[in-house]
Amino acid sequence: MSGEDVKLQYLSREWIDEVIKRVKANLTAEEMKHVSSSMVNIVENCPDGSTRHMYFRFEDGILAEALVGTSDDEVASKEAEFRIIGEYDTFAKISRAELGARSALMRNKIKLKGNMVKALRLSSVVDKLNKIIATVPTDY
Amino acid sequence: MTEYDYSIDHKGRLRRVQDKMQEWGLSAYLGSRLRTISYVGDVFCPWRSFIVIPQSGDPTIFTFIIDAERVRDDSWLDDVRGFGPLGGGHQIDVLVDALSETLHPSGSGKIGVELGMSCYLPEGNLTTEEYAMITDGLPNAEFVNAIDIIDELSIIKAPGIINRFRKASDIVDEGHKAVLDQFEVGMTETEIAGIAEAAMRKAGSEWSWSFTAGNEIASGYRTGYPMGACTPATRRKTKPGEPLMVDLHAMFKLGLGDHSHNYLLSPVSERQRELADYFIETITRVIDMYGPGMTPGKMADDMMDWADSKGIAQYLVPGFEHGIGVMGDEWRIGMNTGPMPYWTDPDHEYGPDQVVICAMQFMVPEEEIGFRYEAPIVITESGCEVLAKTPLEVTEL
Repeated sequence: MSGEDVKLQYLSREWIDEVIKRVKANLTAEEMKHVSSSMVNIVENCPDGSTRHMYFRFEDGILAEALVGTSDDEVASKEAEFRIIGEYDTFAKISRAELGARSALMRNKIKLKGNMVKALRLSSVVDKLNKIIATVPTDY
Repeated sequence: MTEYDYSIDHKGRLRRVQDKMQEWGLSAYLGSRLRTISYVGDVFCPWRSFIVIPQSGDPTIFTFIIDAERVRDDSWLDDVRGFGPLGGGHQIDVLVDALSETLHPSGSGKIGVELGMSCYLPEGNLTTEEYAMITDGLPNAEFVNAIDIIDELSIIKAPGIINRFRKASDIVDEGHKAVLDQFEVGMTETEIAGIAEAAMRKAGSEWSWSFTAGNEIASGYRTGYPMGACTPATRRKTKPGEPLMVDLHAMFKLGLGDHSHNYLLSPVSERQRELADYFIETITRVIDMYGPGMTPGKMADDMMDWADSKGIAQYLVPGFEHGIGVMGDEWRIGMNTGPMPYWTDPDHEYGPDQVVICAMQFMVPEEEIGFRYEAPIVITESGCEVLAKTPLEVTEL
């Protein structure tokens, strides 16, 4: 059975490891507009009732760090330039590239804390990240 | 043109606001009035905006996201944040978040807000909806109307602000020169407004700020509207034998120029000259009466008694000034201490370094004629300084 056939649990450690691998292989610093920023997605009402955190940090357009975990894990104490809060179903759609980040913001599906002007300017960059994430075989 | 020192001690001004906040026991002051953002932020915010002033530290301005970066560039403040129709970016959400940070962890504390009313459309007091949603978001906080803090501190104008008014008046004078130079009978009021606008823009005006449609021009019967002191320019063509009133506005670094000049277009009748002479005599007397200790009420009483003795009281609006300050501060003079809520207190005493617009409307509607005088004046130790240098006369053309 190939790696492509195995679905990874969304927001699991194995899943984020695959995300990291694919982002580093497929997303150039130029495509990411050499952005240096960080965001933590706070995913509420996960299927097990928990809240999970999904953290990304880019340095000059290169993925420097990506973590997932619960509110008790290291990821929950990470400082990020942007904090984005939303429901599990919404983040699942975003991670499947079915819903753009900007669209989700404008429809009040996610709430952002951080510099709104910079966030809007980075939304197309975030969509590129999500397109790569969407290639990971995932069990939602 | 002359240049002046326009600098403001922003930190000193902020300290005085925060000292007052301490006296009031405020954890934060939520400024929503245009005048407050101008006064504290020293920046023009044309969209709905707010300024959150903490008890210590620098304030944060919140404005519509499409203008946030420009406001940051123009203001002395670094922390300027945009709000908009975005998840988490709604103005109430961002304000509640910012105000929460100034409160006790339990959410308790006292927040000063700006409540009131005004005849001035963009005043900017909190709306009922804004107030309801903010207080809902901070259920443990106490809210008090704190407009007195800014109103009191902004009565005496700093030298840098007076100089901005001085410069704005110089610019308006350029507008009047251009109108005198280029006007031809038959031009429309809007054309005249445009001539002035072009000259004032060239001289450095940022905006013909008045919400009464910028440069106000009135010709013929429009100069004599009963109680009329507001005449947006129209496409009416000027005609021989009628009066013309040119009321120009310019803005320079939030300092406001506001000066009217009046004309009689030949052929001029003796009756028109007689009324013009009455107008000049009246306004000269008004200007002579300004000084420390004078009040709006005393000015009105004395002037109307004098006008009555001359048989011209019926030609005058019984008020001879309106309040002015940096952009957004228009109409009410001084504190909200008068007998009519949120209107000028007739017993407000003028003192040195207060600035008002000396404003007089002289109208004879049945004869389709009227004249307007407006000019920023600075109250001095012994009288007043008129900032407009365009000669006080009714010019015959």
